[in-house]
Amino acid sequence: MRITTLGSYPKIPADHGPSVRTAIQRFERGSIGPTQLEQTIRDRTRHVIQVAKAHRLDLTSDGMIRWNDMFDGVVRDIDNVQSAGLLRFLDNNFYYRHPLVRGRLSFQGGVVRWWMTQAVGVSTIPVKAVLPGPFTFLQLSQDDSYHNRQALLDDVVEVLRLEANSLLDTGIQEIQWDEPALAYYPGWDIGEVSETLAHLTKDLSVDQSLALYWGPGVHRWIEPLAIAGFSRLYLDAVSDPEVVPRLSSEQLPVEVGVGLIDARQVKKESVPELVKKLEPILRVQGESRVWLHPNGGLELLPPDHAEGKVHVLSQVRDAVAIAPRNGGRG
Amino acid sequence: MAETLKTTSVGSFPKPPSLVKARQRFRRQEISLQDLRAAEQEATQEVIRLQEALGIDILVHGEMERGDMVAYFAENWQGFTESLPVRSYGNRYYHKPVVTNRVSYAGSTGLTVESWQKAQALTKKPMKGMLTGPYTICDWSFNDFYPDRRSLVLDLAQLVHEEALALAAAGAEYIQIDEPAISTRPQELDLAIEAMEIVTRDLPAHTISHICYGDFDAIYPALLDLPVNQLDLEAANGQFQLLEILRRVPWPKDKELALGVVDVHSHRLESVDEVKAGILRALEVVPAERLYIDPDCGLKTRTWDEAVQKLTVMQHAVDQVRKEEGLK
Repeated sequence: MRITTLGSYPKIPADHGPSVRTAIQRFERGSIGPTQLEQTIRDRTRHVIQVAKAHRLDLTSDGMIRWNDMFDGVVRDIDNVQSAGLLRFLDNNFYYRHPLVRGRLSFQGGVVRWWMTQAVGVSTIPVKAVLPGPFTFLQLSQDDSYHNRQALLDDVVEVLRLEANSLLDTGIQEIQWDEPALAYYPGWDIGEVSETLAHLTKDLSVDQSLALYWGPGVHRWIEPLAIAGFSRLYLDAVSDPEVVPRLSSEQLPVEVGVGLIDARQVKKESVPELVKKLEPILRVQGESRVWLHPNGGLELLPPDHAEGKVHVLSQVRDAVAIAPRNGGRG
Repeated sequence: MAETLKTTSVGSFPKPPSLVKARQRFRRQEISLQDLRAAEQEATQEVIRLQEALGIDILVHGEMERGDMVAYFAENWQGFTESLPVRSYGNRYYHKPVVTNRVSYAGSTGLTVESWQKAQALTKKPMKGMLTGPYTICDWSFNDFYPDRRSLVLDLAQLVHEEALALAAAGAEYIQIDEPAISTRPQELDLAIEAMEIVTRDLPAHTISHICYGDFDAIYPALLDLPVNQLDLEAANGQFQLLEILRRVPWPKDKELALGVVDVHSHRLESVDEVKAGILRALEVVPAERLYIDPDCGLKTRTWDEAVQKLTVMQHAVDQVRKEEGLK
């Protein structure tokens, strides 16, 4: 079983160390310059990766230290869309600036590519890029231009493909497409979603994953999206208790990530209980095809608790490695 | 006080640099609590002077004694511990409380009474008593004690109720119970309403609830069942599209609407004309005698100068609409 994080990580330290918050405040007051701000961001990114390395994560995000929210980087990379008013991000006390589409989308690029190049440059372990999926982008943005959902969706997919393409030679090991809206909101056309995501990922020469979290509808997508071209699915098993029984019942033609670590509560999980929940999944899916991860970015936790959750990941991985099991080892 | 299109503010004001420094020095134990309170009172006076000078009808004290609308209560009640900061957006962070025991008062009720009394003593205009609602305190805390959210919300409702009664007993005519988290989970709207029923039960005051940055589409018109006299909603942030949602049903005769007409999360200063246009659109939905005008949310995220400018634009726009529409 392998372990990974999903996306964001606190931009401030638990005790001492680089604080992006303080650096931005100092920058805005004029007491430090752009070089010092940039250095702090790099140092914080390096810290996130050091935490991942110390806990022997198999793959990590860069903590998305440069991102204000999940759309920030790609909005900067696309013409005719801007970051507009603040809205609550699903059911969290966290706010994002909703993308406001003002004209035909076209890809300018460069921002996320540069961010990921910097992250990979300071990392000694595999790094993945995290991008918003087209349906979450569509659901949480405001269209003041197209007035035609299909036309907008088509263009969103195309610019996201261009974004993904622009990252291929940065050294990243995976592109993780985040689609919390698919889990959170009901009423999606499963055929349309499956077809669109298959087109999104087609012929991109890098591992691609899909992360579904923060909603009760995660389990609905397991079967249809297992054949949509992703290397793995990351599934929030905290918000949707149906995920564990589904993964325990039938082997899927794709690697599965089980989001059993609650990234939105400080309560520390019991390692034996997590191992117990994982056992049937490991047996059915095969140990080498299962990942364990938090059920979302860790930035919604205070920094000490965020690191605590990474520690739990490694404890469970170690406990699983020595636990006796029968059959199904991949 | 105007009879129609009354103006007000949502709650917080930016802390002046002198108070920011005093708070830092107090944390470093360089000044006494008495010195800190004096700095807070000086800042409160400035907030009140500004609102009076602009002609605002119903005042707020600016929450100079509070760092955060939830953490303030958690710091002063029992059952909570403080966490390290968590980011809420941009470069804004808050200390998200952790509920580690049954919530209760640390001492007697009336945590907010003294600051209200001191502020009210500085003006003849009505001063709102400011509370945070039980649903929002629950939603913006980590729950490491209660078996479910409902038990926590209902315990908190009792505390907020006692606090509201204490404010009313002290003479607060307007009591605002902020519930910005209420749209977070539409499936829990009934719980939030049940909790507000506890808070406002037998409360002899004009009650207000401020709600912002949520998915109004998902909770309207059910939100109208919230047992308060006035709903205070943000509109400028969403280019007044909220008004299209409010058009779904006739605005009830027993409810007032306070509408946010300037965006408190943007440095951009709105023009008087665009604010007027928003107010005129709102008048198509809610009659002037039940429509109040204020900023989208608390002003603490703006600089002092930005807050002054935004409130000035807001008041000018209201004055012009009153004049042009023949309103008193």
